[in-house]
Amino acid sequence: MAEAKVHNPIEINPETCVKCNLCDWICPGDLIYKEEDNRETLPEIVYPDECWYCGLCQSICPTNAINIVFPGQMVHNQTNVVDLLGKVVE
Amino acid sequence: MGNWTTLETDVLVVGGGVAGTMAAIPALEAGLKVVICEKGKVLDHCGSVGCGVDHYLTVMDTGPEWDTPEFLIKHVPELTDGIVDMAVASRVIHEMPRIFRKIESFGVDFKDRKTGTYYRLRSFGLPGTYHINFDGTDFKKHLGERVRKGKATVLMRTMVVQLLTQDNRAYGAFAFDFRTGEWYAIRAKAVVLAAGDVNRISRNASGLAFDSWHFPYNTGDAQAMGYRAGAALANMESVEATLTPKGFSTQGLNALVSLGAYFVNKSGERFMFRYDTKGENARRAVLADAVINEYLLGNGPIYLDCRHLPQEMLDRMERTLQVDRYTLPAFYQQKGVNFREELVEISISELSIRRSGVYFRGSGLAVDTNGETSVAGLFAAGDCATVSGGIAGAAVLGHIAGEGVVRRVRGTVGLLPEIDAKAVESVRARAKNHLERREGIGWKQFEDETRRTVTDHVGVRRTDKGLRLALQTLQALAKREPQLKADDLHGLMRVHESVNIRLNAEIMASASLARKETRTGSAHWRLDYPKTDDEHWRKFVIVERGKDGPAVRTLSTDRPLSDAFARDAAVA
Repeated sequence: MAEAKVHNPIEINPETCVKCNLCDWICPGDLIYKEEDNRETLPEIVYPDECWYCGLCQSICPTNAINIVFPGQMVHNQTNVVDLLGKVVE
Repeated sequence: MGNWTTLETDVLVVGGGVAGTMAAIPALEAGLKVVICEKGKVLDHCGSVGCGVDHYLTVMDTGPEWDTPEFLIKHVPELTDGIVDMAVASRVIHEMPRIFRKIESFGVDFKDRKTGTYYRLRSFGLPGTYHINFDGTDFKKHLGERVRKGKATVLMRTMVVQLLTQDNRAYGAFAFDFRTGEWYAIRAKAVVLAAGDVNRISRNASGLAFDSWHFPYNTGDAQAMGYRAGAALANMESVEATLTPKGFSTQGLNALVSLGAYFVNKSGERFMFRYDTKGENARRAVLADAVINEYLLGNGPIYLDCRHLPQEMLDRMERTLQVDRYTLPAFYQQKGVNFREELVEISISELSIRRSGVYFRGSGLAVDTNGETSVAGLFAAGDCATVSGGIAGAAVLGHIAGEGVVRRVRGTVGLLPEIDAKAVESVRARAKNHLERREGIGWKQFEDETRRTVTDHVGVRRTDKGLRLALQTLQALAKREPQLKADDLHGLMRVHESVNIRLNAEIMASASLARKETRTGSAHWRLDYPKTDDEHWRKFVIVERGKDGPAVRTLSTDRPLSDAFARDAAVA
């Protein structure tokens, strides 16, 4: 089975991003990598599927350049909750 | 493979969250050298409440009887269904007012901004209004600042992978920086494990491993390393799930419930009073349990209902919605649901091994009244220890462990053992194998296998047969660990986490198999032993490393867990 395209939860606006490093610095999951001391390069979301959706990057961004986007399986979830409650083998 | 650096210190703290920083503080105050290893990048914002927190549980000793340690202690057996280390829990509760005042002195403002007083609430079945509802956005920042002022050495983006012990005495650990590849051999007179609970261990509604109620970067590293070093663990059979808005495994729902929201089932029936006389004010474990039962009865979907609440309360809810999870308002907005006017569909989260929805009974490393484990010089606090209770539990036991460490370090005479060169080589070879391997199994696939097994057979509904099946699968999975491949240093960190998660799942399955009864509802629900059996099971299930995997024994809850420690009394 081909792997579906990985959803990017952290959208960075390249127009308003000031390439300052704070998002890389604060991310608790080590997802965001920003080349240090280089005001030309944008931060990169290297491991998007390891995001906790905590929004620390968004909250610290000095120019509001970050938007957190939830994927379809989170906002329009169709899972049957009973499937999470185990299989009974007796 | 990067370079090796050897560090000498008095105290090594593993994890820079609330428990870790609070353990570091008394050690720094006593003038000790402290090294903290933390997987996050900034001490002010790391750990599970790095983004903020909205409630803090404490006794304040303000006058009324309910506000005294003695009153709360009296209620601990019923709050924990009788499975609790009363010696440690009592010490934690006695220390609560002192530690609360100390944290206030760091600059944390627990008072309501509008009224200038403490907004204290009764929640989770506690026998008094012990929870302070507050804006704790900067809570962790104040603790981080305190530690930085104390001049601790803080190694960030650094994961501790193995403890160093000799003759049941801890003397340091190996760690690596997953940004630079630098390896550390750290020699310490005492080690504090404060790396939190176990997550990413079962499936949730979204199917996204890192979409978890609790911090997904807490992967039972402390429990796993402690176990390998010979430390005893207890209560590992008890799991915890919470109620979340469906699709987003986030905290924040309980805050609404304690402010007066209801649960209703698909028929619009308010069902909580069928499960507990306290209704929605019941313990968290009871809330989760009731919702699980409603789903199994076919009464789902279950919804959260806030529509009856006055505008003023809804405003308060809206104001504090983002305190526990900053992105929760964005989630509701992108989902297109307005909780003030509409029902919000809820789900059961994935499981955590933590404190099974009750206060003062943690699942993890067994500790004595000084926070020391069964391995001398090895301490534990926070959600990886056997007495746990949210951030307050982490703060108080963390501080107790920090004071215990000071005594332990001052009592350490003579030289610490030399770092074992063979152990260094073996850690290095293991890492090299994962990084250079082209063929093999990815950590995501490996972890999925653990999650599938736990969800199906070790999670909510347990049977002898299911648990044995799970143990077989988990033990077969362990044999594949040498085949795990890491694409980069970050991946090597995740490989270590996945291995720790699997080990915790195996320990949980072993403990669950041993406890032949049901206790605290779905925290340990055995379909083949559906009743709580106080006559035979007022006991702790203790798990330690045996010759061929986890070895299980029991101890009466009339005794403190430290009675089971083999630690030499002369060293203590």
